Amino acid sequence: MSWRKITMKFDGTCIVCNKKVNANEIGLWSKGLGVKHEKCAEIKELRCVICDNPAGCLQCEFHDDCDRSMVSQLCVCKKCETLDNTFTQYQISVKDKFVL
Amino acid sequence: MMWSEKYRPQHMIDLIGNEDARKSFVEWFKKWRKGTKPLLLVGPPGVGKTTMANLASRDFNFDMISLNASDVRNKKNIQEILEPVLGNQTVLGQPMIFIDEVDGIHGRSDYGGVEALINILKESTIPIILAANNGSSDKMKKIKKVVKTIALRPLPPRLLRLYLNMILEKENAQINPGRLIKLILESNGDIRSMLNSSQALVTGFEPSTERTFESLDIEEGINAFYKSQSIAEARAVLYSMRIDPREKINAFYSSIITSSISNLEMENFLQVISEADLLYGRIMKTQEWRLLRYLDSILLGLYKKDTTIRYSQYNLSWQILNRLRWDGSKFKSISKNISKQLHISSSTFATFYLPYILFCMKNNFLEFEFDETCDELIEKEIGLL
Repeated sequence: MSWRKITMKFDGTCIVCNKKVNANEIGLWSKGLGVKHEKCAEIKELRCVICDNPAGCLQCEFHDDCDRSMVSQLCVCKKCETLDNTFTQYQISVKDKFVL
Repeated sequence: MMWSEKYRPQHMIDLIGNEDARKSFVEWFKKWRKGTKPLLLVGPPGVGKTTMANLASRDFNFDMISLNASDVRNKKNIQEILEPVLGNQTVLGQPMIFIDEVDGIHGRSDYGGVEALINILKESTIPIILAANNGSSDKMKKIKKVVKTIALRPLPPRLLRLYLNMILEKENAQINPGRLIKLILESNGDIRSMLNSSQALVTGFEPSTERTFESLDIEEGINAFYKSQSIAEARAVLYSMRIDPREKINAFYSSIITSSISNLEMENFLQVISEADLLYGRIMKTQEWRLLRYLDSILLGLYKKDTTIRYSQYNLSWQILNRLRWDGSKFKSISKNISKQLHISSSTFATFYLPYILFCMKNNFLEFEFDETCDELIEKEIGLL
């Protein structure tokens, strides 16, 4: 998959943030995949849903296999993963942060 | 029981990953009123699209009518199935429609499926949720204009591990760390696939699960079906062979007809194939694609443990195939020449005239001169009379 930097001819929808990429704006485009904002293309670090800190993606054992631009943007950090009942902790955090 | 069913989330909070999407989904339900745009959930398989719809219908007290794209494949089906639901709300309580795999709806203009669906989506009087794996096709672009889209993403591997460890703990089971990582990576963010593979590994049952068989061709599929050690395994294989139903029936037929099983077994198997063929014929005639779900249950009747049946592409034995190929081409050239003299088609000659000519030649009423190779063939044919 190769991303090309283009000046947008028409309005589009960013596949990362789902917001509009305006015409004449610089966007990254890939055939069959769509377009995304330049800032959305920067590889970000996922955040830990439990402690709200960066998830430590660079030290993660799945670093090479986890496509951070494509996956769900919240993860768990190494420290929180070693807590007792991590899954329950995860559920509590999601409940607090997202009204479900 | 399959872990994917046993641990199917009972509440929205039991799901894992896609927290933002879940929040938007719940908010859509909370704010829903007549005229609200329907919802489209786009995401890869196994991230919880169907589960979310099921949970929401329960939490918000809706009677969910679940449809697959094969149920609403064309305009006629869409109007027949969806319109009565939209017009009879009091009879049905508080209905809500869930259409899965909406990207599978026929987009060709003569079927008019997408257009009919869009018309319904534009004027929805009840909550409608659509689910699709892929949102980028042309027909999906049309649908996306009249719905609110929520994208669901595959889960990061570490989050998958968290979920899997929780289930392994509940099951009191263990998988060594290397295998665990391999399982997680192979699942590509698909929770269902990960659970199926893990259960297979833990229980020692190695069924070829949905994902692994998707990539197999028909030959490997049929062979795996007959090599299965149990009917459950055979079912898993059969359900995972995502190929054209006609091709599937034909493949079973050719494999069975060329095998060396007993006459009684052959009779039973052919009866099953006949039933499958009848069903498929009915589907084609009526375009009732919802019936397709019964095809695999019928074909499961073809399973027998430790049978010698293996895949065969052709439904005739090699001897007959060879004869058709080599002798057939010679007969074709003979028919072509003589049919011209008789002012008839070569097929009419071969079907109706040739047997009589051979009889006449056998009884010395007629004499033809052929070249050497054809002479041999004619003599062989006369000998068979």
